[in-house]
Amino acid sequence: MTGKLRIAFSLLAAVVIAGACSSSGATSAPSGSSLKIGVVTDVGSVTDHTFNEYSYEGAKAAATALGATINVAVPADASDYSKDIQSFVDDKYNIIVTVGFNLGDATITAAKANPNIWFVAVDVAPCVDPTGAPDDTFACAGDAATLLPKLIGIQFEEDQAGYLAGIVAAAVSTSGVIGQIGGIDNNPAVVRYMQGFQLGAASYNPNIQVKTAWFSNGDLTKAYGDPVFGKTFSTQFIAQQGVDVVFQVAGSTGNGALDAACAAGIYGIGVDVDEYLTYPSADRCLVTSAEKNVSAAVNQTVTAIAGKTAKGGISKFNAANNGVGYAPLSENTLVTYPSDLQGKLDTALAAMKSGTLPTCPAQCGTWSGQ
Amino acid sequence: MNGIPQALDALPILGMLFQLVGYVLSNLGYMSQTTVAVAVPITLAALCGVMCERSGVVNIGIEGTMLAAAFIGWIVGVAASALFGVGTPLPLFGVTLPLLLGLAAAILVGMVVSLLHAWLAISMKVDQIISGTIINIGAAGITGYLYTLVASQAPTGAGSFAQYKVPGQVADLPLVGWLINAVLSQGPIGLSTIVIVIMLQIMLFRSRWGLRTRAAGEHPRAAETVGIDVIRLRYRNVVMSGALAALGGAWLSMEQTNGFNADMTAGRGFIGLAAMIVGRWTPLGAFGAALLFASATGLSTSLQISPPAGDLGQLMGHVPGEFWEALPYIITIVVLAGVIGRSIAPAADGKPYERESAT
Repeated sequence: MTGKLRIAFSLLAAVVIAGACSSSGATSAPSGSSLKIGVVTDVGSVTDHTFNEYSYEGAKAAATALGATINVAVPADASDYSKDIQSFVDDKYNIIVTVGFNLGDATITAAKANPNIWFVAVDVAPCVDPTGAPDDTFACAGDAATLLPKLIGIQFEEDQAGYLAGIVAAAVSTSGVIGQIGGIDNNPAVVRYMQGFQLGAASYNPNIQVKTAWFSNGDLTKAYGDPVFGKTFSTQFIAQQGVDVVFQVAGSTGNGALDAACAAGIYGIGVDVDEYLTYPSADRCLVTSAEKNVSAAVNQTVTAIAGKTAKGGISKFNAANNGVGYAPLSENTLVTYPSDLQGKLDTALAAMKSGTLPTCPAQCGTWSGQ
Repeated sequence: MNGIPQALDALPILGMLFQLVGYVLSNLGYMSQTTVAVAVPITLAALCGVMCERSGVVNIGIEGTMLAAAFIGWIVGVAASALFGVGTPLPLFGVTLPLLLGLAAAILVGMVVSLLHAWLAISMKVDQIISGTIINIGAAGITGYLYTLVASQAPTGAGSFAQYKVPGQVADLPLVGWLINAVLSQGPIGLSTIVIVIMLQIMLFRSRWGLRTRAAGEHPRAAETVGIDVIRLRYRNVVMSGALAALGGAWLSMEQTNGFNADMTAGRGFIGLAAMIVGRWTPLGAFGAALLFASATGLSTSLQISPPAGDLGQLMGHVPGEFWEALPYIITIVVLAGVIGRSIAPAADGKPYERESAT
């Protein structure tokens, strides 16, 4: 009896803890502006050294410049997305920034219900039905830009950043077998990184083998917020697939992949931000990072809304407007970069800027088990 | 030769099982390493539970104790490496001064948190479930908040203890090489866990301390009549057990990874409690249960990385990840329901001991 009770209580306690962790902190702003900006991050933390953190940094920089009030909410799990957005709506916020593909549906629903509030959805290409409601069938029959004129979806061409990372990976690999691990294969941004990585690696070495794995097939915390799991998973991935470079596309779970790469004595490639700066413990084996300039994108978008120059719909960031790129090649590892590497990177980047280099397959953003 | 396995695989349903066995056997080496690593914190949490509950104190605050230790170990490592520099790691396990200081601080904090639980549970006679819950919620809240304060500077930690590298000749031994490799390819905390399991098993059933502990957990009044100070013994066990939970926490932030993350224990303390129950409150049993639970992670990881070909791969692809995570709890419920033998808690488990007043 006591045993059964104990399990019940343990589960109860786990739920309570999870609930207790949904937190928010306010940064007061100088008076003079009535603008209120709310940021709803994805699960994890606002100091995850990658996506959540840089989106918030971008919004904060815009808020500081505008003299606006800014506040952030970190959902404890996916079921809190709508609740946390709604709390900003209830508190009369003017601009609500939501971070990540996973918040897409909740953001679209909120944008439809609150046509007077600006919504900025990072990593979301709004897909709506003719009534303006989120469309899970991905038919996207409605025109989001006219149905929801105050919803801006910030999109990056991650495949370009992944392509550049792929060139570096193929160049430093000695075995000719490299790996990439993503969070979940349903996230178009993650998939674009990895599709670009494959093409970039193949462009440098046509015989390269790229092994792909996914941390999870549904659990968001496991996929993006659990570095301990990321380390064990990636250690097994490296051994089982025999790769000598690992590209992580999985937030802080992926940082565990970088740890595993260091422990196994192989090279790692970071994602979203220059992880050489944000994840120093992997510096000894990190060669570069596939970057997207989330902070600048959010900053520009929020500033444009405040300046009344913003338009609804998709706002694209790519190599042409310095929205994506790669971090400086690290000098901290033992790697000797092939002499032709820098030239190939420069050529590829220039071709991307002029729009002449295809970096994504036809089904861009949809993983079909390549 | 190949004809027979192929014929077996072609059988309906049963063939799928043969395929699964074949798949597991061919990937056993990879899975076992993950299994042993994942089992370490679960085992340490379970051992903490065994030590407490065998002496009659329920401790569901293990999760919080681990989390507090993981945070303090990491932050002390950060501070120490800023003060003294990281220094050159020793060849064995990559030991540095900041790492050792962090580990010592983690253990100390684990014992202090457990002392709080002991005081609430034994002296104040608070409901022990409530006391443990307070520790869990408090640790999650406080470490989460403090982490937010320091994390924005992305501080460099003290790094982590290195793994022991099993020599190639040993790892390549036929039949047993993979097993030796899986068990020994670990850092100092992982390796000492195995030693602690064996030591605790012997001490609990073969030493004076063990006998007294079990007496206090089964029938404290009888123990007191033969001169055992039940209160003191319970205090000592609970505080010592905190060091074990703390090792589990330190493993997370200083051996497996080299940093702290909010809620990084992710339920491992609770799965440890489940392992304790399935292992029938014995150290060896708990270790076995932890390995069993962890093997679900090993298998699911392998299925994610290189799914088997054919129908089996199709079938396994449809198993949701949550199934593997829920498996430990399902097994625990099955065991508690008495389907596989019976698992009975110490008789005085969770009951505060009241000394008979001298009238």
